[in-house]
Formats: sequence, structure tokens, C-alpha cells
Amino acid sequence: MEASAGGTVRGMFTCELCGLATPFTYFGQKPPNTRAIVLLEESYVLKDPFSHDREKFIVLGSSCTVCHKVVCVGTECSLFYTKRFCLPCVRENLDQFPQQIQAELAKKKSAPLHTDPAKR
Amino acid sequence: MTSMKMDDKWDWDSPQCRAQLDEVFFRQHDYIQAGSQDHKDFWAFFERFQRFKAKKEMSGSKDNKYDDPKCSKSRKSGSLDLGLPKEYDARYKINISVCTKDVEEKMEGCGYRRQTQSGPGKQEITDCRLALLHFLDFSQKQSFNKLAKLRHEQRSLPIFHYRDKIVELVKAHSVVVVAGDTGCGKSTQVPQYLLSSGFTNIACTQPRRIACISLAKRVSFESLNQFGSKVGYQIRFETTRTLATKLLFLTEGLLLRQIQQDPLLSQYQVLIVDEVHERHLHCDFLLGVLRALVGVRPDLRLVLMSATINIKLFSEYFRGAPVLQVPGRLFPIQVIYQPIPPEEQASRSEKLDPRPYLRVLQGIDQRYPTEERGDLLLFLSGVAEISTVLEACQTYATHTQRWIVLPLHSTLSLAQQDKVFDIAPPGVRKCIISTNIAETSVTIDGVRFVVDSGKVKEMSFDPKAKMQRLQEFWISRASSEQRKGRAGRTGPGVCYRLYAESDYDAFAPYPVPEIHRVALDSLVLQMKSMGLGDPGSFSFIDPPPASSIQTAVTYLREQGALDVSGELTTIGSLLAQLPVDVVIGKMLVLGSLFNLVEPVLTIAAALSVQSPFLRSAQHNPDCATARQPLHSNQGDPFTLLNTFNAWVQAKGERGGGSRKWCRRRGLEEQRLYEMVNLRRQFKELLRSHGLLEEGSGGAVTPEERRRRRDRLTERQQLHQLKRQHDLQEGARRKVLRLEEGGQGDSSGSDDDNASQGTGKGKKTEGQNLDIQEVKFKLRHNVDQLQEVASASQDLSSRRQALLKLLLCRGLYPQLALPDEHNATRKDSEQIFHTRNKQGVVIHPTSVFASDPEVLHVPEQEDGQPGAGKGQSGRHQLLAFVTLLETNKPYVSNCVRVPALQLLLLVSNCVDSNGDCTRLVVDGWLELCLSDGERTLGVVSTALELRAEWERLLQAQLCKRRPSARDLQHLSDRLVRFLLYTEVNYTIRRLTALQSQNLYVGPQSDPTTSDAQALKTIFPGWDPQPDPIKGGLRVSSYFTYNCLSDPSDLYSECLRTFWTCPHCALYMPFTPLERMQHQASCKPPEEQPAQEESESETAAPSSSSSLSRLYHCDICDKDLTLTSTEILKHKRQHAVAS
Repeated sequence: MEASAGGTVRGMFTCELCGLATPFTYFGQKPPNTRAIVLLEESYVLKDPFSHDREKFIVLGSSCTVCHKVVCVGTECSLFYTKRFCLPCVRENLDQFPQQIQAELAKKKSAPLHTDPAKR
Repeated sequence: MTSMKMDDKWDWDSPQCRAQLDEVFFRQHDYIQAGSQDHKDFWAFFERFQRFKAKKEMSGSKDNKYDDPKCSKSRKSGSLDLGLPKEYDARYKINISVCTKDVEEKMEGCGYRRQTQSGPGKQEITDCRLALLHFLDFSQKQSFNKLAKLRHEQRSLPIFHYRDKIVELVKAHSVVVVAGDTGCGKSTQVPQYLLSSGFTNIACTQPRRIACISLAKRVSFESLNQFGSKVGYQIRFETTRTLATKLLFLTEGLLLRQIQQDPLLSQYQVLIVDEVHERHLHCDFLLGVLRALVGVRPDLRLVLMSATINIKLFSEYFRGAPVLQVPGRLFPIQVIYQPIPPEEQASRSEKLDPRPYLRVLQGIDQRYPTEERGDLLLFLSGVAEISTVLEACQTYATHTQRWIVLPLHSTLSLAQQDKVFDIAPPGVRKCIISTNIAETSVTIDGVRFVVDSGKVKEMSFDPKAKMQRLQEFWISRASSEQRKGRAGRTGPGVCYRLYAESDYDAFAPYPVPEIHRVALDSLVLQMKSMGLGDPGSFSFIDPPPASSIQTAVTYLREQGALDVSGELTTIGSLLAQLPVDVVIGKMLVLGSLFNLVEPVLTIAAALSVQSPFLRSAQHNPDCATARQPLHSNQGDPFTLLNTFNAWVQAKGERGGGSRKWCRRRGLEEQRLYEMVNLRRQFKELLRSHGLLEEGSGGAVTPEERRRRRDRLTERQQLHQLKRQHDLQEGARRKVLRLEEGGQGDSSGSDDDNASQGTGKGKKTEGQNLDIQEVKFKLRHNVDQLQEVASASQDLSSRRQALLKLLLCRGLYPQLALPDEHNATRKDSEQIFHTRNKQGVVIHPTSVFASDPEVLHVPEQEDGQPGAGKGQSGRHQLLAFVTLLETNKPYVSNCVRVPALQLLLLVSNCVDSNGDCTRLVVDGWLELCLSDGERTLGVVSTALELRAEWERLLQAQLCKRRPSARDLQHLSDRLVRFLLYTEVNYTIRRLTALQSQNLYVGPQSDPTTSDAQALKTIFPGWDPQPDPIKGGLRVSSYFTYNCLSDPSDLYSECLRTFWTCPHCALYMPFTPLERMQHQASCKPPEEQPAQEESESETAAPSSSSSLSRLYHCDICDKDLTLTSTEILKHKRQHAVAS
């Protein structure tokens, strides 16, 4: 039974922005038992606790390319666009992002409650 | 890029085409495998994704291309170049890639696929990969959001702010009290805080089994260990505990049992005792035990969790343990006092007046618009009150169409109880009318209004009458607050109190703890077995009255569990291990001796759970007819046995159709499942105590091997089903229909048809799976059970008699005597007397309530000439399991049994007069017998049988299993004694005054000749003068000639002429002398037969061996007659005079 609980805990992942804290079981770009899947960033990964499958994982977060803060993947904290950016850094460099991203961020600002129910 | 542009042979919807892509992306070891749920989800996602892309393409995708480069050019000078691509693509937002190069290359290498025209081209693979990326991203977001939401909820609980403080306190102190009100999150969070701060081997006790399961589930989910076993639970029949379990939820009772095995509880580092304020018997006792344990194990951490009630009591009990108080999370609740006007207050005998309750419903309808949702929870004291108010509210609900009225109490079927969690349709409110079960045990969300009657029915124990009593009381202020709180769980609420504020102020502050209300038999037994010394000096948090402990000690002594000095007997220490009432434990032990263990296991289990017979179905004629074949007029335990056996058969025959089988008969199947589990636990306990032989090891036949293999396959399938069920759990709640309210009872009717008729089709495939059936089959070997059931289904009348004797010996001294005038009373007015309580009645659910004639003495024997009034050999007693007073004192779960025979075989105290024409049993039952000489013989047989029974039982208890031959011989004789002893007698209950002056008292000059005589009559016994009662004490329970007999002082000195049938000696004898002569004058060759003929003189036949010498006083002749002939002879004289 315990085997299905999956990988051993490697440490605590804590988002430096929202404080979300949870253990992680892998750090890197190639989570175990995922064969063809490769992550495009060095990520904190947790074996998906909501799935019975031992291979399923959740990417919790990674370091912001600009400021190197550890941030979670929640839309209130960071976004991925070829690389990970924490939202403060995105805002700082907003002009470099394509309009679609800018629009998404603007939408979020105007109605933050609807974008991510988890963060209410 | 839609599929339209593709080679027209390529069809995304074709299973073959998809299968080819599956070979690229969803191979056996891939992240998503073909055939899995994720795989199905992907293709469903794929279709949506393609549609989305097509739509987007149509609505001008051209713009994008021009916009993007422009905007990334206009970068602020001096800022960092992020190196982002010039052109926007949604794929850049995904942090995952899927590498399938190896497969693709292989395919191209072969090249043959392209020629088949149907193979996927580069474009198809690209499309599929893109969809897969989006799918992976989508499921990542879903899972992450679930996690984030969970963490957010945890952080917003009031207790979250005290997290570090709690851990700190527990590290520093061996005992900590955490007090927090409803909704603060203590039960789910505190164990997790301790777990994540490095504590391990944590046990958390709960008063209720159901809470153990739901908390373990919740906490394992919250601690991200849903599929592991780090967090587990253990209750009576189920455990998810493994070696990896670090946090275990278990019941208080179970932890106590563990302490019995392991007094230091060395398996645990932290013990959390939750809900200590509820003050259950087990909890109070557990606290006492743990208080001592803390002193012995300084490394042990103890956390008490309580509502903010009487916290000082707990803290002080543990020598000033630190208290951490956490605010609850309740919405504001408006309290409205609406005392019931005097003209609407029911007097004791009347039914409750529903008008005050109706007014609340009306008031809500007037004051609150229907769009404002919120249900009503109404607290009443008992089932009768609930049905009265329910009826009135139902009428109102039918009229207004604005309410669905639902009852809630523990005697409802589980399906009906479950309805209170369903949702009312818009514009309609639920009105749940409940006992105090909804105060703590059952929590219903969405309640906005609470109506509190202020009353509760509580069980108390009357030690004088040895009777449980269910009485109505005012609730305590604490309960009142708890009820109020139920209105503010999900939003602001209103609480209507149907009493005055001054009443509230006069309420007791807290409810009476259970330890002050109930019989302490099991508690005292357990204390004895744990070696806790004198139960009277144990330091309870709130010690029970010394008298209740004394009552329990006396009772246990009567039951043979304690000896005279108050120490555990062999059987007592065994009974302490069994998690059942002492009487039921005794049955189990007795059953293990004879070859009757299977039916006894079933009956013991059946008597330990709630009755499977639903009360509501009793008046349903269809149910009554269907139940008829299950009934046994021997008694309710036999009906339960029949029911269980028939159910097991039904399970085999129809495979899964047992649900329907139960519904037809108005049976709650859950109870039968509990029985089968309990039965198995009992069996294991008996086996572990060496009371049962191990299953036959013998050689395995090929047949058996095949069966085992089949069973293994079946088990694997069942496990699969169970896993699927577990995954589907948490399915959404049903929406109630308006007509679903009220007493509308699905039991007995075919509910399946009803729900089909409405065409709601609410039963999905998953719900239709009977998970109980699956669990049942996983846990039990159905074939074996069926063999056992069919074996005990057709017990011969002799086996049945023996079984009855075992039950009654177990139940003794819980006996009731039918009133002598019952034959002339109406069925509903039959009354009975127990030793301590006169005028009890049979509970309406008992088989004897509907068929009391079987308890009457047959008329033809009554009033036989010469037999005296009331003389008969057919008197019966009722042995019963419970005596409970509600509006009347009721006995339930009764067995009928021949009176004299049972009393001689099981009672603790039989006293006789000189000629044995009068026996007094246990100081309250008087038997007057017409034939003293005969009686003496019967008593002698009984003594012999009991001695043998005791010898074999002791051997069994000492794990020296008696020989089958001895057992067979004894059981044959017991049955013959029970069924065929023929002595005529009257039986009555002595008045209090009579039982005070029973004995002659110590005699200065004990008649040694009598003692000599008795020795011959009772070979193997050594009669001694009894120092208190007088007379001669033959055995621990039989004292001869100690009854003072005012009417016939000299009877034992009267000699009559008698001729010995063996040696033809003719001379005057006292009855005792005659017996003595007979005993010593047996012709040697007849001796073995003689011993049995004493109990066997039954069958009236003219055969000379049954005849005996009879001296008729009237015609002064010695005659050789059978017992029937004697009666005939006597009748002649009666007729002549």
C-alpha cells in the first residue's frame, strides 16, 4: 500500500509569494516513471496525491528566471512563457510579453476573484 | 489545421486511426496508457480541443501574427531582455514537452505505414502532440488547483493560527488540553500538526466509529496521503492500519482493549482523546487509565480535545495541564424564546401538542422569502414525539408545497436516515425532525433554523429494579447551546427555543455524564481484568456512586464472573476479553463447549446489534406475511437465528438479490452485515482463547483446491470493484422530491419500481453496485457460511432444547414469571414479574407479544383432580435480554423455557423443605410440588448434571477439551432432563414479607442422620449444616430442609408405610429415609439405567419399569402404578368424595 503512496519526500516546497507550503518528492526536469515527458524547467514536483497511479505528478513550482525566487505555478504567483516568471517580474517587464499575455493579466486584475477560485 | 485538410483516408473519429496514435503516445509504459481513464479523458479533450481550434481559426487568426512582433519590439530601454520569442504561441505557455522521437523515427524507417495510406502522417502526429500538451497542462492545473484550494482551506481555519503554539505545548508538557468550539478544525488539524512536526505513532480516539472513518479519510486526503496508509483507522470490524501507519483514528473502546493487551501502550507516542466533553463512559474510564499511565511513561504525550465546556475540570484532573483555547467558527445566531403556552403543554399521559412547532414553520414561511434558502432542524425527545409532530407538519407541508418533512432517529433504516443529507428542490425547505442524534453524532449542512424543545430522553439505570429506564428530562445549558449552534454552521441562523429564558437559566450546566447513569457491569469487569484493584477507589474524573459499583460487583458475582472475594474467575477473565454484555459472553463460552457453537455465535451476534426488524414495517401486511416463516415461537433469539440463516441462503441463491429480499421483509440489511462481522469476530476470539478447535487441517482435495482457486479469482474481481467504488465515492447528493417527505416508507414496497416510474433514473451504474455485498464477499467465505447456516437451520428439537438451555443459562438471572392470571387476560394485557420488578410487559416487537398463548399453562392439566389448583408440569419462564422502562417496563428478546428444570439447572440458590414438596429459588420463586419423593430424585439428577457440566466447562476453560463422548452423554441427559422431567407443581412469586421469613435459621442440633441420608441420596456430595439458613447445605446452590414451613412443621418426621420394590422390605419411612433406602438398594445390574430413569419417567406407558410403588393414604393400600396411573387413582377418590 505504502508503495502506491509514491516517492519519498525530499523536502518542503514553499512559495515565496503566497506561502503555499507542501512537501515535494522530486526536483528536476524528468520526474520518475514518466517516459516521454520532459519538463521545460527545473521544477519542484510532487507525486499526485489525488491519483491512485504512482506515475502521476503535480508540478508545484520553480524559480523565477529573473529574480530566482521560488514560486508556485498558481496563476496569482507566476506564469510560464517559455520560461517561468513570477508575476512581479512579469509586471516589471510587461512590455516584452505578447499582447495575449498582457490581456490575460489585465483581465485578472479587473476580476481577480474569477480567474482562480482556489486563491480566493 | 483541421482534419478536413488531411488525407481523406485519415479519420480522427475512427478507432483504428486513434489506435495508431495510441501506439505513439500511449504505450504500455507511457505516462498515459491506452485503455486508462486518463486515456479516455484525453480523447474526449481532443475532440473539444479540435472544435475550439477550428472555431478560433474561423474567427480570424490572422491578426495575431501581425500584433506579436510589434509589441515585443517596444521594450523599455534599460530593462533586461527576457529573450522571449517574437511570435505568440499558446504552446509557449506549457512547461511540458513530450518526446516521442524514438517511435516516430522507427515508423519512418519502416516506411511501410505511409503506403498503407491510413497511417498517421507528420501532421497528425503534430496535432495529436499539441493536443496532448494542452491536455497535460490542463490536468496539471486541475490537480494543482485542488492542492492549492486544500491548503487555502486549512489556512483559513481558526485553529491554524495556533499551530505552532500547539506543537510547542505538546513538546513541553505531557498533557495538554485543546478546547475549541464547533468548526475550529481541531479534530482534523491537530493530528496533522503533530504529524508534520515530527511526532509519530499518534493515536486519536473518537466516541463514534463513523467519525473514525470519516476523519481518517479527511486527514489522509489533507495530508496528501489519500492512497497511502500513513493515516488509518481501526474500528471493531475494520482497519486500514498497516506498519506504515503513523496516525490512527480509533474508538475509545478499542484503545481500552489495547491497553488490556499492552498496559504501557508502548506502540504509541502521542494519544489524542477527542470530544472528552461528551463524557462517555469509555472516555471517562480511559482518562482515568491514561492519568495513571502518564506517570509511568513520561515520554508519552497526551492531548485532550474538548468543546469549550467545563475545561477546568479536565485541566485540574491532569494536575493543571495547560489549556489552549481556540475560538470556533460560527455565524451569528439569533435566539428567540417561545415558551409553549400552558394550554398546549402535554400532560404526562397525553400526546404532544404539535401546534407550537407548526407555528414556527408558518412563521418562517411568512418572514423569509423562499429564495433565501436554509433548512429547519427540530429537536424532540423521542420517536413517539417525532411521529406526532411529523404528522402535523406533513399535513401543513402537503398544503403549502414548501416543505419536505423528514424524521431522523436511530431506529430508522439507514437509507431513511441518509435522506436528511439530500437536497431540497428550489423554493422548498427541509424540515428535519430529530432526536438528539443530530446534536453531536449527525451533522447536517445547510441548516438555518433550529427549533429546540428543550427535552431529551436519556437512558438511566435503576439498580434496585435492575432495569434500564428511558426518561424524559430537560436538557442542559451545554446541550442547548450545542443545538443552537447547529443553525450557524453555514451562515447566520435563528434558534427558536420552546421554553422561557428563565427555564434556560434553571437548566443544569452540563449533561449528566454517562458513568452516573448506566449499569457499570462491563466497566467493573474490565477494570478487574486490567488489574486496577478495587473499582471503588479508582480515581475517576467524576466518580460514580459507590452503590452503582457495588451493584455491578454483586451482579458479576451472581454471573460467576467474580468469586466471593471479588476476584476474576476463569470464565470472568474470558468474559472481560469479549466486547459484549456479560450474559452474551456467557452464551458464547457455553456454546463452545457443546457442538452448538455456530448457532450460538449467530444468536450472540444478533443480540449485540440493533434489531434488523424495522419497526415501521411491522404494520405493513406484506412484510408481516413475508416475515411469518422466520418467526419462532420458542423465542426472539430463534427468530433472529432463522432470519440470519435465511438471509445467508438468500445471498447464495440470488447473488446480490439479498437487498430486495430484505426489503420485502422490512429488514435493515446493514444489521445483518454487522451480525455476520460480529459473529466472525466472536469466532476468532473463541479460537484465540483455545475454546474452538482449529479448522480441520486435513489433506486438501482437488475439489477444495479448485474452490480455493475460484475464490481467489473472485476475490481479485471484488477488490477491483471495491477500488472502483472507493474512487467514485463522494458522488453528489440527490435532490429530494416533494412527496418524499413524511413517513413515506420505502421498506416493504418495491422501491425500484417506484423510482423507475418517475423516470428519474437516479441510479447510475456505480451506485447500483452494492458495496456492502462486495465487502461481505471479500470478508466472508459465503460457501462456508451457507453450510453453517443450513446446518443450524434445521435443528432437531433436541438440539434446539439444548441451545435454549445454553441461552437461558447465559441470560440467567434475567428471568420473568408469567402472572398466574394471564390466561384470562387480553393479549395486550399479559404481565410478568421479575425478581426485582413486578408487572413488566413484553415488548411489542417480541414474538410473544403476538402469540402469548404459548406461555400459558395448558388448560387440560390445570385443575386436574388431585393435582391441586395451578398444579402442572408445564410451567414456563421467560428469559430475557433487556428490561427497559419507557412508558411501561418492557422485556425484549425473550425465550420461553420449562420453569422447574431451568431453575434446577442454572439458578444460584435452591432451598427446599424437609420432604421436598416446597422449593424456593433465589429467594423469590416458590414452587410447591405434589410429589416430594419424586422431586428429591429430580433434584438429585440436576445436581449430578450440573456437577458434570461444570467439570467439563472448567476443563474446556483450562484448554483441556473434554472427550466427545462425555459431551454427548451430558448433552443427551440435559436435553432429556429439560424436556421429559414430569413433576407437577405450582409456581409463584413470593411477596417481600414472605421472602424475609424464609428460613428456619441455624439449628443447635443438626440432624446428623439426615446428613447421612443425604449423602446416600446425593452420592459425591458432603452435606453440611448451613450456618445461616439452617438445614443442610448439599451443594453451593442447594440447601435441604432450610425452609421454615409453618403449615406443615412435622412433615419430615411423618413416617408412612412403604415397600421397597427391590428387596420387598415393608416398614414406615420418612420421605428422606425412603430415598436413602432406594438409593442404596439398587440392584447392581440396573444401576446405570436407574440413574437415568429418574429423569426419564416421562412417557406414560404401562411398561413395568416405569411403574413404582404407590401408597394411597385414602384406601391405605400399596399399589404398583405408573405416574399417570397414580393420577388416575387419585382422581377416583376425588370423584367419589
